Amino acid sequence: MGAAVGTDEKGSVNVELNIIPFIDLMSCLTAFLLAAAVWVNIAQINIQPKGKTRDTSNVQKDDETVTLSVLVQADRIWIGLSRVNEFQEIQKAQDDSHWAKFEEALKVHKASAFFSDRHDIEIAAESTTAAPVKYNDVIKAMDVAIKVEFSDVGLSDPAGLSARPSL
Amino acid sequence: MPVHKVGPRLYHSIPFKHLVKHSGSAHGGRSSNISLNLVPFVDMMTMLVCFLLMVFSASGELLQAQRGLELPIAESKNILQQAPVIIVTNTEITYQGQLIMQVDAALRDDTVGFKIDALFERLDAEAKKIKETVNLGQLKDKKLAQACENAKQNIRPKPGEVCPDGLAILQADEGTDARLINKIVNTAKAAGFDNLMFAVKNK
Repeated sequence: MGAAVGTDEKGSVNVELNIIPFIDLMSCLTAFLLAAAVWVNIAQINIQPKGKTRDTSNVQKDDETVTLSVLVQADRIWIGLSRVNEFQEIQKAQDDSHWAKFEEALKVHKASAFFSDRHDIEIAAESTTAAPVKYNDVIKAMDVAIKVEFSDVGLSDPAGLSARPSL
Repeated sequence: MPVHKVGPRLYHSIPFKHLVKHSGSAHGGRSSNISLNLVPFVDMMTMLVCFLLMVFSASGELLQAQRGLELPIAESKNILQQAPVIIVTNTEITYQGQLIMQVDAALRDDTVGFKIDALFERLDAEAKKIKETVNLGQLKDKKLAQACENAKQNIRPKPGEVCPDGLAILQADEGTDARLINKIVNTAKAAGFDNLMFAVKNK
């Protein structure tokens, strides 16, 4: 890069910088960064496969422990407590307002004495050919659970839930 | 359209004569150099480069874009890490870029144990390879080696620093049937992958 000092008049202190190499460099760097940029920000939800039917090592061996189970169905979401056998049903709505209700319900459970110091939750999706459940709904349920600080999410078979509603 | 006599047309229809007069051109009898103010251009380039450097992320290289794959959106901010990738698009299941089977066929298959055998074979082989690497202490990343030591003592790992033993990424289309997800999770679990990362798009 060249620099010429005092080119205009005698004794001038103006410096003329040749900025063309700078512009070239910037253009190349911009082109590279635009080409290599990742426009979609990817994250992850970490889960452990759990359930009575599959991995017995992951199941709470202590029968005294109450487990919070969530069953996602095509038209409703069930929240259940094992041992207590208490179930709450949330009907799915067209406008997705059921997720707000689901979050509120989980918050109530999180604040209860059973789960105030625990982070585990079981989630299962019961999908059939007639009433399919989409993966998006499972992810949404997990995302809400993590948001409410149930960070230890276990994905289970519907039959493997600790608390399963009898339909 | 009328036919005109051939000849120069520059500046006839476009009113740029004032520019030429001030800046100098062959017609004006002065220098033909036109001085451009490059300062705004350099400013813009600098800001663009700074912005692109700030948003530059390397996590995208972990996942492959594939046709028929729209990841679900979630609020989770946990970052991904390197692991074997199972991809489920709306038509096919692939593992590390290789086709395993069609989605329809996987949903029709109601074999005992709810496993996908073709996927299980690949995952099982990979799980054994990873386990051997971890057990022999051949992990290059010291943080991951430490994470494996911590896992033995049941210490919770930091996000992005999970022991690679039993860790896999599931990248599935948002419209995938949950039955298929259950099958894949069962298969991964049976093969020894008991820690799955579900890839999602940030809100």
